[in-house]
Amino acid sequence: MVAPASACTPMRLGDLGHLIEVVATFLGLSLFSLGGGNTLLAEYHHLSVTQYCWLTPSQFADIYALAEAAPGPSSMIVGLLGMAAAWPEGPGWALLSAYGAEIAILLPSTLLMVVACLSWNRLRDSPWRIAFERGLGPITLGILFAIGVKILQTADTNAPGVAVSVLVCLLMLRTRISPLWFMAVAGGLGAFGLINR
Amino acid sequence: MTEPSASASASPAPPPGLQQLFAGMLLVALSAFGGGLSAWSQRIIVEQRRWMSNEEFLTGLTVARLFPGPNQINMAVYVGAFFRGLPGALAALAGMLLVPFTLLMLVGLVYFRFHSLPAVDRVLAGVVAAAAGMALSMGFKIVDQYWKDPVALLLAAVTFVLMTFLHVRLVPLVLVAGPLAMAWYWPRGNRPVDGRGDIR
Repeated sequence: MVAPASACTPMRLGDLGHLIEVVATFLGLSLFSLGGGNTLLAEYHHLSVTQYCWLTPSQFADIYALAEAAPGPSSMIVGLLGMAAAWPEGPGWALLSAYGAEIAILLPSTLLMVVACLSWNRLRDSPWRIAFERGLGPITLGILFAIGVKILQTADTNAPGVAVSVLVCLLMLRTRISPLWFMAVAGGLGAFGLINR
Repeated sequence: MTEPSASASASPAPPPGLQQLFAGMLLVALSAFGGGLSAWSQRIIVEQRRWMSNEEFLTGLTVARLFPGPNQINMAVYVGAFFRGLPGALAALAGMLLVPFTLLMLVGLVYFRFHSLPAVDRVLAGVVAAAAGMALSMGFKIVDQYWKDPVALLLAAVTFVLMTFLHVRLVPLVLVAGPLAMAWYWPRGNRPVDGRGDIR
């Protein structure tokens, strides 16, 4: 087990300057959101747990689970990260920071998507498009495996918990059962103390 | 083409305005509570509202998956931009996110206030174990298409090792490995592919 980075001191978000820093960070990451948006999870973990200390590792795991369980695109986790960043300043700041972070992560990719939509007829047969699609695919694959391992480490549950993780992974691949059921059952196992961390 | 007469005979609806785009995406987001966002957007945009042909919709899905950004959000942006440019994209995006994001914010406020309660933490420990399994499945879900391409598997393995064991960050990794991979996979006319012959 890796010792958590306890030397990390949280930065205060009291002034507008720091909020702008949060927004700028997510603006810069937006275009690296490959493979449907999940490739950024390791980076989110680094920023919020190691670099800025917005969250402890287990809080990060909680937030990831909440974003997966809630209806809608799971990439809305960025809103929760923004909220975590400003939580010490009170709910008002937290909400402002949450909306700022979510808009920041979506704005650049949205603008690019608009351009892509309007110029797709020219892009479709471009060698750049073909090379981008074929070349970035395998890199995305490697990133997703790395993120799977990272989240598993961050979850840091006991042996029954790891067994549940592996079982859920298999069921996700072999069945079409809604993952909400897995989370509900596992939550129950947690409530009875069978899974803990 | 493969679709029977039903969709061929149905004339497409007039292009939606900003309010209709917002309302349509709001409906997609509400219908998809519990999952199946992609299927719901197809059902509503193609079958119910008839804004797009199935072919146009599938092209949009391809573009949404190719470009950076979350797939479902990109798809909403594509549909909006297809009809009304940037304002349409923003209207569709707002419709798609309004309800789910508001809900998630409420969940977040509750979480940050109560996560230290032992009962909450115990339930979450279980939920987290399941969520970790979902994260673990992401790579396996797309690995099948790469089995016949050893270079792709090598690239994926190197990426995995760099991130997991050498702790290389995402941005430098993509900026270095991306162009190299693109150069390797650059479409070359002089590679004979399926009897196409050399172009030299």
